[in-house]
Amino acid sequence: MAASPSPPQPDYVRRHLRFGWWALFAFLLLGATLETLHGFKAGFYLDVSNETRRLMWTLAHAHGALLGLVNVAAGATLRALPELPGDARIPLISATLRAATVLLPAGFFAGGVTFYSGDPGVGIALVPVGAACLAIAVFLLARAVSSPSRPPAPTEKRRRNG
Amino acid sequence: MMRPLAPFRSRLRTLAPATALIAGAAALGLAAAVSLDPLVPESAVEHRPVAVTEDGYVSSETCRACHPSQFQTWRGSFHRTMTQVATPESVRADFDGVVVDAVPGRPMRLERRGDEFWAEFDDPGWEGDPGARPRITRQVVMITGSHHQNIYWYSTGHERALNVLPGVYLLDEERWTPRNAVVLAPPGQGVAMLDGHWNAVCIDCHTTHGKTRFDTPFRSEPIREQSIDTTVAELGIACEACHGPAAAHVAANRNPLRRYALHAAGAPDPTIVEPTRLDPQRSSQVCGQCHSIWEFPDSASERAASAGGLPFRPGDELRETRFVAQPRVNGRSPAMRNLMAADPDFVRGSFWPDGLVRVSGREYNGLIDSPCFTDAAAPERTLSCFSCHTMHKTPEDPRSIAEWADTHQVSAGMDGNAACTQCHDGIAADVSAHTNHAPASAGSRCYNCHMPYTSYGLLRAIRSHTVTSPTVRESVEIGRPNACNLCHLDRTLAWSADRLRDWYAQPPPDLPAAERSVAASVLWLLRGDAGQRALTAWSYGWEPAQEASGTSWMVPYLGELLGDPYDAVRFISARSLRTISGFETLQYDFTASRDARIEAAVGALRAWRNSPRARMRRDPELLFGPNGALDTAAMRRLFDRRDTRPLFLRE
Repeated sequence: MAASPSPPQPDYVRRHLRFGWWALFAFLLLGATLETLHGFKAGFYLDVSNETRRLMWTLAHAHGALLGLVNVAAGATLRALPELPGDARIPLISATLRAATVLLPAGFFAGGVTFYSGDPGVGIALVPVGAACLAIAVFLLARAVSSPSRPPAPTEKRRRNG
Repeated sequence: MMRPLAPFRSRLRTLAPATALIAGAAALGLAAAVSLDPLVPESAVEHRPVAVTEDGYVSSETCRACHPSQFQTWRGSFHRTMTQVATPESVRADFDGVVVDAVPGRPMRLERRGDEFWAEFDDPGWEGDPGARPRITRQVVMITGSHHQNIYWYSTGHERALNVLPGVYLLDEERWTPRNAVVLAPPGQGVAMLDGHWNAVCIDCHTTHGKTRFDTPFRSEPIREQSIDTTVAELGIACEACHGPAAAHVAANRNPLRRYALHAAGAPDPTIVEPTRLDPQRSSQVCGQCHSIWEFPDSASERAASAGGLPFRPGDELRETRFVAQPRVNGRSPAMRNLMAADPDFVRGSFWPDGLVRVSGREYNGLIDSPCFTDAAAPERTLSCFSCHTMHKTPEDPRSIAEWADTHQVSAGMDGNAACTQCHDGIAADVSAHTNHAPASAGSRCYNCHMPYTSYGLLRAIRSHTVTSPTVRESVEIGRPNACNLCHLDRTLAWSADRLRDWYAQPPPDLPAAERSVAASVLWLLRGDAGQRALTAWSYGWEPAQEASGTSWMVPYLGELLGDPYDAVRFISARSLRTISGFETLQYDFTASRDARIEAAVGALRAWRNSPRARMRRDPELLFGPNGALDTAAMRRLFDRRDTRPLFLRE
């Protein structure tokens, strides 16, 4: 009796490489925009009264770019360690990491759009949610790469020769 | 058997660059640490008043974390720099081996010792033979003033008591001048230069929550026998001077949910005072705690304040803990009588005879005598300090922080008629119909007529903060220059009276002959008291007045004042004279010897006589004859009738 084919698995490697590089590109553009605001001395960004906005948007840029790199690193990790244990919960890792990549910079950015003196706007509420997602993703991935590897699945060639 | 060395050498070669890098960084760090001066903690300072965190005060550095914008605008204001520790950053005068002649007695010698500032001068406390007055060398430790003057305070060597250097540094002129010459005081009289004066007196309004902490009342016994442990919450006027102690506010707002609930509700935070949310009376009293003429109600409250600081907190009723001198209201009160007993010239030195304040820095007194404050129909139409001023420059204000601060923190747009037309909107539609002056002229600016330059301080005229309408009567009966003649310097009081009658139906007063025939400003300059002379001399240099009156005729009058017995009058006259074409480079030192001053005045007069400008005006009101010659005999007659009563304005 022929074995039933396993359901198609998402290509997590490609997904995170793609997500990471596009995130890097997006936050590169944000960084360039912020530099332009510096260049033209835009008051709504640089004035002392807008210090909170400047901080928030700088944090959005920094976190976004860094999380883009984390996504690339995650993709590279999954590619380097295809034999991660079965309970590695890769789908959850992937979802939370991508959520963090969106929520953290978006929260910082929204917190700088409107703000209350030294307090960022209510959009900052996204940041702790994003931070929690990131913590989950990093923890699970760290645990997965620390666990004993499962034996590599037999390849088609082996099966044929066996 | 020997172990092979090759692997060890290989590892050494690998580690060598990293080791060198770490060693280099450590060496650099060590060198930096050795070259930097050790930071002396405030608590370890023993020779000057120190800032301490107590009584719920937390300091502006704490406020900064959550209110960066407000912190920055305050930091750029002159409130912050009202008192500063003397550092290379705060000291504006050159101390590097400078000898200052413009002090009483022998020259003062200044010296930099690293980051310290030292001065050698005649001992002001010497009570023996003046000829044997010893020299003392003291470290300058604090500064008051940063807008127009730097006043330097030195450590007396007795606990935290300070005294003032005999010279003051004028920032605009970049020169030293005798301490007594910067106040309007009769020759030989002036401000006190006593050990402990700053600790006992200046501290109240030049710091935040100052405590004099004299164990016995100031001057009740020799200062060297007193214990003086002066502390402040912060040097200068900082956040908590206007918002109150903030410890409870800081503690409560560590909770982000509380903060965002307040943001969402837009409600005031009950843990802190926001002066602009107070009613006009209470909000103005926040400013009035310093910008007023006040005294302790009794000696017990003075002693309590010495130990625990002034009891007033923003939001309180100021009069519950202070006696605010207001001659129109409490001129006959026991407290005022006590003040007069201690200082018989107190009222004359602070107020015009009708009770309006005449000295700078006391704007609250001016405000509370204004009909816009006392007679307003509703709180939202009541004049307060915040109607025109703001303590934090707003983001919409296009001016830089420095420009905003330099213009006395007037709110954006409030330096023009908008300040008044926010209530008097009916006038805004057609200003000329009200002013009878061209719309764009100085005569159509509300301030110039209703807040004229009739207060004095810091070697200049200051706008009155009592909103009034100009009358000739105030000049005749009170002696206060009226707004019309402070601009139309070449016109008589009778001329102004006619205009006020025609335009505003003011009944003209009966005027003596001189008031009908001689320009009012000439009368004030020649006949007036020192206060009138100072204000008028300043107006001679005021650009709108120069445009309205011309300047070609002013030189002999300002030249006359170059020999005035009052230092301040001479200084102001010379400054105004230098604004007149041809006299920009006038060589004149108001502190020079009498002979030198006369020589400079004569030289200026000669230069004027030899110029065509001397013959441009032939107005009899300016004492010019038909041939254009100045009637010096008439000048002399007016001069002989000068009000020579000593006048010390207590700015």
